[in-house]
Amino acid sequence: MLFNSYVFLFGFLPPVLVGCWALRVKNLRLLFLTLASWAFYAWWDWRFLPLMLSTTTVDYVAALMIHRTDVARRRNAWLIGSLAVNLGLLGYFKYADFFLNSLNGIGKAIGAPVGLPDLHILLPIGISFYTFNSMSYTIDVWRKRVEPTKHILEYSTFVALFPHLIAGPIVRFVDLQPQLRAPRPKLTSDAAGVGAYFFTCGLVKKLLLADQLSPHVDALFSHSSQLGFLGSWAAAVGYSLQLYFDFSGYSDMAVGLAWLIGFRFPQNFNSPYKAVNVSDFWRRWHMSLSAWFRDYLFIPLGGSRRGAKRTVVNLVVTMFLAGLWHGAAWTFVVWGLVHGLALGVHGVLKNLGLTPKSVIVNRVVTFLYVVAAFVIFRAPNLHVAGRILWRMLGTAGVESWSTLQTFMPGRFVVLLLALLVFAQFAPNTWELKLKPRLVYGLVTGVAAAVAVMSIAVPHPFIYFQF
Amino acid sequence: MESSFPTSPTENVPGSVADPTESERLHRNLTPAIAELDDPRGFFRYAVAALVALAVALCGVFMFNAIVDPLSLIGWRIVPPAVETDRSIKLDLIGKLKTNPQVVVLGSSRSRQAEPAFIDKLTGLKTGFNAGVTGGDAADAWVMVRNIAARFPHGKRAYIWFVDYKLATAGINPQLAQDPRSRPYLGNRSVSFSLADVGTYLGFQATDASYRVLKACIEGPCHGHLYYHADGSLKGAALKYLPEDAPSLKAAVAQKLAAVKHQPRSLAPFTSAQLSYFDETLAFMNRHGATPVIVLNPIYPSVYRLLQKRHSQREAEALAELHKLQKRYRFVVVDCSNIHVWGGKARDFNNATHVNRRNMRRMLRYIVAHSDGALTR
Repeated sequence: MLFNSYVFLFGFLPPVLVGCWALRVKNLRLLFLTLASWAFYAWWDWRFLPLMLSTTTVDYVAALMIHRTDVARRRNAWLIGSLAVNLGLLGYFKYADFFLNSLNGIGKAIGAPVGLPDLHILLPIGISFYTFNSMSYTIDVWRKRVEPTKHILEYSTFVALFPHLIAGPIVRFVDLQPQLRAPRPKLTSDAAGVGAYFFTCGLVKKLLLADQLSPHVDALFSHSSQLGFLGSWAAAVGYSLQLYFDFSGYSDMAVGLAWLIGFRFPQNFNSPYKAVNVSDFWRRWHMSLSAWFRDYLFIPLGGSRRGAKRTVVNLVVTMFLAGLWHGAAWTFVVWGLVHGLALGVHGVLKNLGLTPKSVIVNRVVTFLYVVAAFVIFRAPNLHVAGRILWRMLGTAGVESWSTLQTFMPGRFVVLLLALLVFAQFAPNTWELKLKPRLVYGLVTGVAAAVAVMSIAVPHPFIYFQF
Repeated sequence: MESSFPTSPTENVPGSVADPTESERLHRNLTPAIAELDDPRGFFRYAVAALVALAVALCGVFMFNAIVDPLSLIGWRIVPPAVETDRSIKLDLIGKLKTNPQVVVLGSSRSRQAEPAFIDKLTGLKTGFNAGVTGGDAADAWVMVRNIAARFPHGKRAYIWFVDYKLATAGINPQLAQDPRSRPYLGNRSVSFSLADVGTYLGFQATDASYRVLKACIEGPCHGHLYYHADGSLKGAALKYLPEDAPSLKAAVAQKLAAVKHQPRSLAPFTSAQLSYFDETLAFMNRHGATPVIVLNPIYPSVYRLLQKRHSQREAEALAELHKLQKRYRFVVVDCSNIHVWGGKARDFNNATHVNRRNMRRMLRYIVAHSDGALTR
């Protein structure tokens, strides 16, 4: 079920809101939210629901067992067991075909065909997100940073809660625990207002901005052989903006829905294209994921405490895995490595005092680098990515007027420039301190209506595929 | 070296942080700026106003579209729908036919230029009827054929059926599905106004269509421009308003060429669902003694050349499927894809896919000559 679909907006959300606030007893409300979230998930494909239930059960039990003992070996064994199940499921459903194909490719390249079969495994939607949510819980319990819950409904609600289930933000149990333990007694007008504000901002970002860029960006990427300097830059910038408005739109909708059902989710985007270096970019882009990799991978690897060389290696390893998290394809791996290297180089240059002092220069360089890296992220393969990046250097000249007219109609160019300015200079949804006036309420309602009118053909969110 | 990765407040190894839970919680922002405002009454007004505005706007849009009914989903017909209503017009004309049409033309708008009177001259048949409709598909052909047969149960008819390489789809045009004269032949597959249609009438496309329909009604006569003779052929006046008539043939062809460049070389595999009405119609025609002539529609020469250059399999796949069907049904296939085969002229196209009347006449001569007697008495 998509947030931007009639069935969600008119069939699912109203009864869930009514049911959630009508049930004042904690257990009943949590049970209701769990069941509603499972229904939300099963609407897509009920066959994968047991997978999520098994992750929930394994981590719930593992966390309690870890907490029960102080014997390090037992604690470690339970943690390893939990991680093995989580990563095993993720590895099988998300990466098995990728690795088999890669082995076949390597075998073919060295003249020793392996002939491994393609398993054609369907990727369960949201598996990367709920697995990471759940893994963070057992790791936090093992680290004694959080006390496990004995209340199965608290835990099942934490894993399954529909606003974050499919595409994040990746929430930590530590954030939701107090909210699950003592649910809010009623929907206050503040929460309703904030929820409506975030949800509408998300709808508008997704439906009226990202989806308007989408057909033009798709056309540019699928006709990459015809592009010159302008077209390839339009493709790169267009996709960067599309991805930002699509995913931050989803995150806003998730945050808004959370407020409407009595929860608070963490911020996931903080104007990433205003970043002044790559490190700053990762503090602003998909913040819940980068924080996850920081806390559960980069720091355990040694972080930045073991010298410059080791820090660079840790960054590259972390970003390699962050790239792979996004999808089982070499484009994602290379994208992650490109960012890992950039983070390492930035760290070295910063230590040597060689980074530019001008904020404007830093912002422009960072933006261009991030945009170029997103070409690798979006391209169907590395060959196409290389072609577009090469043409962004001007190697294929500038397109003919007719090609420009075909692939870059005026409306697209205007939208692209407007969104570029908006992403660079406007405050984001978390920063905006809109006074809750009647007229803004009317504007919000009309904006939501206009967004709903463009739902007719639902476009899935880009991050659903990860 | 300072970490380049987003840093936590303290970067100690796990377990050595004084109160990491608290510090991490503080590090993640759960409170947006708007939530810091302490104005419960303001938020109440804001939320209610947003909800009311949303409800009013959506209800207004739905009511507007439902009343104008631009896609004929409800069937008021207070104003003409945004899409051509030639299905109902053709069914009206069939109802008014005085004699059995000895030759019937079927197909999409690409068959619309075929004049039954001209076919009569070529074949020696006495009467004909063009039942081709905008976006005509196999379900349309099925309904037209069944309506003519119901009107003249004992009449013998020949058929010329213009098809594209896909031959047919499983879809049923909503106007066709809504028309009471279709329902006896579509059975359960006909539709009535459904919840999905509510979504359609909440959308921009329908609203834009409603606006265009109303604007046309305000600015000019509130009716369509496609007029037909009693035999289903286009009236001369209608030729000026054909939707397929491109302002620039060159631009239309360039657009088509660009599309073809990225079209898959092969068609999607034919399925029984896709061909169900096609099969049923052929079977019905055969049962009533007719051997229809299936014509593969002509393609603009440069587009056809490009398809050949790209080793497109579409034409071969369509012909192979038709030959497969010939094992079950009796019909003649005339491939008019390449206009040079039948003496067509590139200049006599309305756009990259639609021929004009001059080309249609050239093509009809070729079709009749290659119909293996299926079109002669």
